[in-house]
Amino acid sequence: MHGKRRTISKVPTQIAGLDEILEGGLPRGRTSLVCGGPGSGKTVLGLEFLCRGAMAGDPGVFVTFEERAEAVRMNAMSMGWDLGALEKAGKIAIVEARLSGDEVLSGDFDIQGLLTIVGGHAARIRARRVVMDALDVLLRVYNDRHRERIELSRLHDWLTDQGLTSVLSVKTYRDDNEGSQYEFLDFMADCVIRLDHRVVGQVATRRLRVIKYRGSGFGTNEYPYVIGHCGIVLFPLTQAELNHQPLGPKMSSGLKGLDVMLDGGLRRTSCILVSGNSGTGKTTLASTFAQAACRRGERVLCLNFEESKEALISGMLSAGIDLRPSIRARKLMVQTALPESTGSDGHLIRAIEALDFFKPDHLIIDAISACLRMGSGQAAFDFMMRLISAVKERGITSILTNQVSGLIGSDEELSGIGFSSVVDAVIQLRFIETDQEVNRQIFIVKSRGSAHSNRRQSFIITDRGIEFPDHSQPPSVQTRRTGRKDGGK
Amino acid sequence: MSKSLQGKQRTRNGQRGHYLLRLFTAGNGPNSKKALANLRCLCQEHLKGRCTIETVDVVKDFQAAVRDNILVTPALILVAPRPRVTVLGNLSDLPTVLAALRLSGSES
Repeated sequence: MHGKRRTISKVPTQIAGLDEILEGGLPRGRTSLVCGGPGSGKTVLGLEFLCRGAMAGDPGVFVTFEERAEAVRMNAMSMGWDLGALEKAGKIAIVEARLSGDEVLSGDFDIQGLLTIVGGHAARIRARRVVMDALDVLLRVYNDRHRERIELSRLHDWLTDQGLTSVLSVKTYRDDNEGSQYEFLDFMADCVIRLDHRVVGQVATRRLRVIKYRGSGFGTNEYPYVIGHCGIVLFPLTQAELNHQPLGPKMSSGLKGLDVMLDGGLRRTSCILVSGNSGTGKTTLASTFAQAACRRGERVLCLNFEESKEALISGMLSAGIDLRPSIRARKLMVQTALPESTGSDGHLIRAIEALDFFKPDHLIIDAISACLRMGSGQAAFDFMMRLISAVKERGITSILTNQVSGLIGSDEELSGIGFSSVVDAVIQLRFIETDQEVNRQIFIVKSRGSAHSNRRQSFIITDRGIEFPDHSQPPSVQTRRTGRKDGGK
Repeated sequence: MSKSLQGKQRTRNGQRGHYLLRLFTAGNGPNSKKALANLRCLCQEHLKGRCTIETVDVVKDFQAAVRDNILVTPALILVAPRPRVTVLGNLSDLPTVLAALRLSGSES
């Protein structure tokens, strides 16, 4: 006997994020249960598990109790999975196990017929996975809980005897006395996953939770997921520790005057918040940075929640910043979205897809204040935390603009949506009124791991960009360093 | 593999009023035996001389189960006369089975 702990064998689902939560995948040769309300994505999860397995050479049988086989094929095709081709290749078998509903019941019966059909197909294609979708529909024919249980045990035993890794899906309703109808299934199955589809602040959100996993650890939180155009995507923040990259060396902000104020420039991999009222020049500052970075040959992704790409380009042209060459050179990518168009999960998946596709060195989000329109403050917070975490893990610099309300933004608003702990530097822009005119001022509120000026510096926006006219008074650098020298986390 | 129980039960085949019944069972379990016994008894009583019973063991012939979409066993299909009717179970509830087979009024 070895003292070493035995870990159970698992089958990776290859569903983005799910294997991290399940610490490797579903239990091999055992039964897992997926339950959730209508439209929560049970079928997609099952299909994806099967299709990804089949494409990797692990054949499987899909048993549908509710939908027609043709509907299942179309459903899969919309996610880019060609079931028809996989069927022809003998990698997938679809069993349409629908009772017509007009059968007459007389005396005792069992699901041996179903097991025979599934077993026959499984043997034919040497299946190792089985997905039974909407099992509750079949169970309805019993109309008797005791008999349902007996049949489910029979099914469970049979699946286990066959050594099949199986996923059973069952429809459940939350506010229903029958919510516990399939409770015993929870006991029977080795792994239970619950999908929840709810509406918060008029925006639909989906949450996945693993209820149990016999013989294995698992992520215990509720995880947001989206059903994208290629399946289910989850964003687990499963790691207990933060895997953020440390702050990198300094780089130019694109403005000499600002670089002096920042004791040499902005630090790479840092998260920089540019805060200010409407019209103070936040987008101009961010675009100046983008242009300078692109000229250095670096890549910048700009997520714009406020204006169209064309509006951004023409707006910046009037300030003497021509973004078009950078876009043409594929150094700058502008991705626009209306915050209301989808939930924060949808925005997150789009943003992360863009990060992984474009692989930028820097990310600009204009403006995080608009993210509040994704539904609620919590939604915006979730979006920002997860996105900034993803950005920091990838070692990408982020510049977030934040529009504050009121003529002079209060300090509470500086940190935007309340995630100041991940913000490394805060640059404040504001209007200053004198007798005759309103001028702009820039001020470094904080700059982690770097010295910075403590002066409010006037600047103007000309048709040649941002300029610091006050040359007689070069901005001084505060010698006291704020924050930790190593840049913290 | 299916076999037809023909012989004395099968007379005047093809004539109007002739019944073709297909019984699906799974192996030799108690429900399979009960269903077959119940069906034979029913035919003897109500369909004497005008029915054919076809039995299919789905364990031996899963394609037959696929063809007729037999998910639960025992299952009885009234193939003819039309319309087709499916009765699930071991057929222990005689009045229900008779009603399903449209034989309720044919006591004789």
